[in-house]
Amino acid sequence: MSLIDYFPGDSSIHKLDPRVKVVALLIITVSIFIISNFFVIAAFFLACLAFWRVSGLPFKKIKVFLKFLLSLFTFLTLMQALFLPGEHYLLNPLIPKSVPLIGGLGRISLDGIVYGLLLSLRLLTLVLFMPLVTMTTEINTLALGLVKMGLSYKIAYMTTTAINIIPTFQNETQVIMDAQKMRGLTVFEKGRMLDKFKAYPALVVPLVIGAMRRAQLMGVAMDARAFGAAKTKTFINDISIGFLDLVALVAVLVFCGIGLAFNFIL
Amino acid sequence: MAEIIIKIENLSYRYPRTKKWVLKDINLEIKQGEFLAVMGENGAGKTTFCQCINGVIPHSQRGKMKGRVIVAGINTVESSVSRLAQQVGMVLEDPETQLFTTRVRDEVAFGPENLNMPVPEILERVSWALKDVRLEQHADRQPTALSGGQKQRLAIAAAIAMKPKILVLDEPTSQLDPVGTEEVFTVIKALKDEYGMTVIIATHKSEEIAKFADRILVLKEGQVQALASPQEIFSNTKLLKENWIRSPQVSELATYLAEQGCPLSSFPILPQEAIRLLTHWYEEAET
Amino acid sequence: MSDSAIKIENLSYRYEKGSLALHNINIEIKKGEFVGIIGQNGAGKSTLLKNITGLLRPTTGRVQVNGRDTINVPVSDLALEVGFVLQNPDRQLFAATVMEEVAYGPKNMGLSQGQIKERVDYALNAVGLSHLREAFPPALSKGDRAKVVIASVLAMGPQIIILDEPTSGQDYRGCYQIMDIAQEFNKRGHTLLVVTHHMALVAEYTNRTVVLMNGSVLMDASTREVFSHPDKLKMTHITPPQITQVARALQPRIPLSGTILNVKELGDELLALKGKKRGRVGSAG
Repeated sequence: MSLIDYFPGDSSIHKLDPRVKVVALLIITVSIFIISNFFVIAAFFLACLAFWRVSGLPFKKIKVFLKFLLSLFTFLTLMQALFLPGEHYLLNPLIPKSVPLIGGLGRISLDGIVYGLLLSLRLLTLVLFMPLVTMTTEINTLALGLVKMGLSYKIAYMTTTAINIIPTFQNETQVIMDAQKMRGLTVFEKGRMLDKFKAYPALVVPLVIGAMRRAQLMGVAMDARAFGAAKTKTFINDISIGFLDLVALVAVLVFCGIGLAFNFIL
Repeated sequence: MAEIIIKIENLSYRYPRTKKWVLKDINLEIKQGEFLAVMGENGAGKTTFCQCINGVIPHSQRGKMKGRVIVAGINTVESSVSRLAQQVGMVLEDPETQLFTTRVRDEVAFGPENLNMPVPEILERVSWALKDVRLEQHADRQPTALSGGQKQRLAIAAAIAMKPKILVLDEPTSQLDPVGTEEVFTVIKALKDEYGMTVIIATHKSEEIAKFADRILVLKEGQVQALASPQEIFSNTKLLKENWIRSPQVSELATYLAEQGCPLSSFPILPQEAIRLLTHWYEEAET
Repeated sequence: MSDSAIKIENLSYRYEKGSLALHNINIEIKKGEFVGIIGQNGAGKSTLLKNITGLLRPTTGRVQVNGRDTINVPVSDLALEVGFVLQNPDRQLFAATVMEEVAYGPKNMGLSQGQIKERVDYALNAVGLSHLREAFPPALSKGDRAKVVIASVLAMGPQIIILDEPTSGQDYRGCYQIMDIAQEFNKRGHTLLVVTHHMALVAEYTNRTVVLMNGSVLMDASTREVFSHPDKLKMTHITPPQITQVARALQPRIPLSGTILNVKELGDELLALKGKKRGRVGSAG
C-alpha cells in the first residue's frame, strides 16, 4: 500500500546512483512547479508513467492511492471552476449580479475547470515521481548517497529513518483501526464525516504512543551498536557514478529544459 | 578459576524526574564465561539492570545512578557507550525495533561500520557472525522477510560482529514461537561454548534456563533476592512464590511430591534426570 | 444449532499476494467450550481469527457466529458477539483513565450512562482492577495494561471471547491471572478461544485443542487427545508440555493411565500408584 517501501528489482532505475536520483527528482519537482501549461505537464505525466514501466514497479500500488487522490482532485477542480474568474462560462450565474455582495457567484467557468485539472495533474505527477526514487533505492544506499553529497551521516540516517517511518505508520494505522473496530467503534465502517473526525483520538493516541515507544527502543538499539561513535562511518556498500548515471542526469536536464522552454513559449 | 568480568558495586538507579529507585543497592560479580539468567516479575528491574551493563544507563538514559559498574575493567560511567559496545553486545525483546537496514548483511555490518572499521575487516566479521548464527544463506535477504527466530538470530549476529566479550539479552524470546525460542537458545549456548562468551539473559523461560544457566539472579523491586544455581533457586518454594517465578514442571512435580511426604532422592530441574529419579523412586522397595 | 457459537464451513482464504492462507477449514465450536488454537507461526492462526471477527471475509466457504452468517455483518457489530483481545494491548489504549478506556465499548454501543457505569464496574471487578479506575493506562505495568484491554472487551458483553497470544510479554503472574479470568468467564458460560504457544497453559485450561498446520486443521480433538500424539505434533514443531513428555517417557516402567496434562495430575497418580504398590509389597511380604 505504501509508495515508500523498497521494492526489489533489477531495472536500470534501480541501478542508478542514488545521488543522481535525488538530484533528478529535485530538478523535476521544481520544473513541475514552474510549468503551467497543461500539455507540458501532461508530457511529464506520461514520461512518469513510462519510467514506472521501465522500473518494474507495480502499477497496482498507484490504484489505491488514486482513489484517495480522486476525491481531492474533484474538490480542487470544483473550487477552481466556481471561483476562478475567466472568459468562458459554461453556466450562467445562479445568483444574479444584482444581489449585493454575493452577486455573481455560482457560475462555472471553463477556465476554472481547466485550471483545476492542471493543478490536479501537477499534484498527481509530483506524487508519482517520488516512488521512483524511494521504491527503487534501499535505505542504506540512500543514506550513503546523502552522506556523499555532504550530509553528516547522523542527519542522513535521521532523514532515511523518517522516510521509513511512514510505511510503518500506515501499517500501524490499519492495525489500530481494526483493533478499535473490534471494540464496537462503528464510525470507520459506517459513520458520517464529522463522527469520523471525533473518533480520531482513538486512532492517533495509540499511534503516537506506539511511535514514541518504538523510537525509544530504537535509540537504545542504535546506541548498543555504537551509532554516533566515530566522526565518519564506513559503508560496506559503495556507490559510484557511472556513465549511465550521467546520461540519465543529462537526459532529465534536457527534458525539463525543453519542457520549460515550451512552457514559456506557449 | 575464571576471572571476574563484571563487577557491580552498590548500584542504584532511578529514572529522570521520578522518585522511585528502580534498582537498589545491587552488589554482584559475574565471572567470565558465565551464563547468568536474570529473573523476576515484570517491573522488578531486569531491563534496567541489563541497560546498566552496556552503558545505555547512564549515558543514553539520564536519571540518577549511584555506585559503579565495572565491565571488563572499564567503568561504565567513565566510558562512552560506543567503547562499551565493543565489550557488551545487546539484544532486545522486539525484533522489529532493533533491525534498521534492508539487507541481512548490512544489518550485521552496521555496528562495525559505526566504529569506522576498514571495509575488508567488516566483511570478514559479517561472514563469521552470520556463520555463527547459521544465517549465511540468508545474507542477501531483507530482514523483514525473516521469521521471528531468524530475526533474533540476526540481532545476535549484529551484536557479536562487534566482538564483545559479553552478550546481554533482554527477553529475546518472548515474542517468538517455540521453534524460534529453541533456535535462539541453541545459538547462545554455542557462542558460550565456542568463544567463552559471558551471557546475561533476562527471561521467564524456566525450562530453558534450567538447561543452560550457571546461576540465576532474582530481582524484586530493584533488589537482589537471590543469586544461586538453578538447582537452589528452583527448589526454593518460598522464593519462587514471592517472586512469581515458575520453576520447570519437573521441579514443580518434585516439590509437590515432597509436600505430600514422598520426596525424590534429589531435586531435578531437567526432564532426563526427573525421569531417572522418578523411575527409581517408584521402583525402590519400601522398607 | 442454537448452541453453536462458531461454525466454520469449508473456509478458504487467499491473500491479495496470492498465497492460500487457509485451506478448507471446518470447525464447529459450541457455546461454553474453551478451545486452544495452536500451530507454528504462519500456520494461519491470525488469518483464522480475522475471518471469525470479520476483519477478513472468506474467499470461499462461510463463517457463522451464534448461528448467523457473518458475511455482511460489519466488524463493529460482530464485536458485540465476539470479543477480541489483541496480542499487543498498547494498540488499543488511548483514553486518559482506565475507566474511560473500559467505557469506550459500551459507549459505542449507545448504552445509557447508568448502563455504561454498570458494565464498567462489572468488567473492572472481573479483572481485579477496580482500584485503578482513575489510573493513566500507559503508566501501568504490562500485565495491568493487558487487563485493561480485557476489561474493555468484557464490558461489551460478548458471548465469545478470543485471546490472541495473551501471554506474550507477560510474566508468570500476568499469564496466569489472564488465564484465570478467562476460566472464570468460561465457567459463567462464555465461549473461550485462546491462541497461544504456551503449551502448559493450553494443557491446563482448555478442554479442546485445534492444531493448525499450513492453513489446514491437523488435529481437532480434546486437549488430552491432542497431546497424546506427540509424533503428529512434531510434524508442525510443537512439543507437549514438559510434564506430558516426562509422563510419556515413564510409561514403560510406570503404569500411568493415559496422557498427563498437568503437574498435579502426574503427582497424584504417581502417589496413588506407589501407594498401591506399597500395599502389594506389604501384603506379599
